[in-house]
Amino acid sequence: MIEHRQAERQKPSRVVVLGARGFVAGGICKELAAQGITHLALSSSDLDLRQPESTAKLADILQPTDALVFVSTLTPDRGRDVKTLMANLSMAEHVAEVLEKKPPHHVVYISTDAVYADDAPLLRSDSPCHPGSYHGVMHLTRETILRTTLQKSGCPLLILRPSAIYGPGDTHNSYGPNRFVRTALKDGKIALFGNGEEIRDHLYIDDLCRLTVEALCFRSAGVLNVASGKSISFFDLAQAAARQYGKPVAIEGSSRATPITHRHFDQTEALRAFPTLHSTPLEQGLRAMLAAVNS
Amino acid sequence: MIGIAGLSHLGINTAAALAAKGMDLVGYDDRRELVTKLQQGQPDFFEPGLVELLAEQKSRLTFTTDVNQLRRCDVVIFALDVATDDAGHSDVTALEKLIDDVIRQAANPETVYVLLSQVSPGSTRRLLNRYHHVAPLWHYQVETLIFGNAVERALRPERFIVGCADPKRSLPVAFERVLKAFGCPILPMRYESAELAKISINLFLVSSVSVTNTLAEVCEGIGADWSEIAPALRLDRRIGPYAYLSPGLGIAGGNLERDLTTVSSLASQHGSEASVIDAWRTNSRHRREWALEMLHDLVLSRHSDPTIAVWGIAYKVDTTSTKNSPAVHFIDALPHTPIKAYDPQASLSGRPNVAQVHNALQACDGATALAILTPWKEFNTIDPASIRARMSGQVVIDPYGVFNPDQCRASGLEQHRLGAAAMGSAT
Repeated sequence: MIEHRQAERQKPSRVVVLGARGFVAGGICKELAAQGITHLALSSSDLDLRQPESTAKLADILQPTDALVFVSTLTPDRGRDVKTLMANLSMAEHVAEVLEKKPPHHVVYISTDAVYADDAPLLRSDSPCHPGSYHGVMHLTRETILRTTLQKSGCPLLILRPSAIYGPGDTHNSYGPNRFVRTALKDGKIALFGNGEEIRDHLYIDDLCRLTVEALCFRSAGVLNVASGKSISFFDLAQAAARQYGKPVAIEGSSRATPITHRHFDQTEALRAFPTLHSTPLEQGLRAMLAAVNS
Repeated sequence: MIGIAGLSHLGINTAAALAAKGMDLVGYDDRRELVTKLQQGQPDFFEPGLVELLAEQKSRLTFTTDVNQLRRCDVVIFALDVATDDAGHSDVTALEKLIDDVIRQAANPETVYVLLSQVSPGSTRRLLNRYHHVAPLWHYQVETLIFGNAVERALRPERFIVGCADPKRSLPVAFERVLKAFGCPILPMRYESAELAKISINLFLVSSVSVTNTLAEVCEGIGADWSEIAPALRLDRRIGPYAYLSPGLGIAGGNLERDLTTVSSLASQHGSEASVIDAWRTNSRHRREWALEMLHDLVLSRHSDPTIAVWGIAYKVDTTSTKNSPAVHFIDALPHTPIKAYDPQASLSGRPNVAQVHNALQACDGATALAILTPWKEFNTIDPASIRARMSGQVVIDPYGVFNPDQCRASGLEQHRLGAAAMGSAT
């Protein structure tokens, strides 16, 4: 559930973005800049949240009138082990320490849909959380740390749980649009797990960034899934990527290692909360990705 | 003489039906303006056939604010509708005050007191325990009022379910005479069973609605058409011709929601497994958003400056009630979108983006899309071609299938129904 703490849209006085060198936080900074919203982009080179010393530095930076967007994460491609989990939790511990002492005006945390069970077919923001990976456990624990910390001060916390994000500038090479477009361009083929039967939601980066900025302007609080609301199979996605490429692309299946699961999102809560926002159609998003990779 | 205490929808309808069976009635309520209007034959809500029935039975009906007139009644029926909040919780404050006023000021130990209002299990026995020293005769009677069909159901009930302190004892003669006038089966049972019987009926309806809505959505995904499947189910004896098999936009109106909340609360209190209740609620919330999802997908994400026509505001046909109405829910999700709305009976105010117009076609003038959210009968008499001629767009979100799909297609309308894949326009 989500609620707006401000009835009228009002730009925040300043937004501090943690993890700004990353794909998502970088996109949010771009959107903030495009809308003329003052922001401070902090990356790990400015502030290494894994280090205890980071708390003093962040406490100096953060003002009571600021909104804080916490995106910093070691993503699964940087490690899927316990060590990565603990490093990520350590970042949250340090941020929470600062938030407890110097609560800002608003906090937005970018979480993940991995907090839900892998076989949950239709997700709403109030669906039960049952993560099946360290990545999901990490985000769910961070959500709890932030929620518990901010309850004391009453500072509104918004937790956004995006589905799989794609778009120009994505540095990850995870299974989905990014990898499909790159391998189509580079090798003229797209490799699928099994025959690509799994159905998933793919969220265009700009849609997440626009929604995050809207949430900052309404000082929204609660939990919200962010997704396109239009899930498709990886096979159909591969075909869509191939169509955008415009040249013959071989779509190759492989033997299946894991059972088929599907995932859909009920996005009506987001439609109600932000009625002026709409999802970018997949074909349009793929086209933008292809143009970016080509350039 | 029969008394009716509490002149809301249930009370007035019950009074009219009893009068039609030849009984003399006195209807009591302390709201003077309401009583004055009823004395003129004008209830403060719309119910098909009720004004006519009140006029026919005028000589048998007395409406009063004088509580003492109930003292002379053989039977007094408490029939005040119980309000519910958004979470389905009942507010029985007004009903409890009414009962207390009547018993305190006009109790008669010979009178049979009947509780017809919607109450939770345990309520009637509590009343008996509280008032037995001045009013020892209490019964509970299940009401089965359906908005929009209340007169017909009150005149020709399927059966009477009667809660008793001791179901082995005969019903009081005066009360039995009232019930027998309708010629239907009478089922006496203990108070708690009768109170739960009412809820049981509603939950079976919810289960049918939920299964229907679930399968209708599956139909939309696989290209099946629920309207082809439903007739086959109606011919199955275990399902039946009157089963709730029409897909809809979730559960609305307040009464079913109230009973879900009651059972959920009772199950929690007594440790019963009732997770299906949450599943039904989730399904209802999900399907209630169908029209909004369609609108975003088909219209709002593709047009920069759309205007939407909405037909129907009431939560269902033949009522003025907008309680939990899917139409109101839909409209409130579009605060920045110009809407032209029409409903034959219900009205909506306080939304600056909504203009309520006086006829259905007027709402379509220049509209990018039409959403038919209450399937009033008058809508399907309108020619789809005349709708298309008035609209700037061609999308018709028609969850209940008011229009014939082939006619829509031939008229150049793109119709979207619950339980069926989209039907594109022919032009």
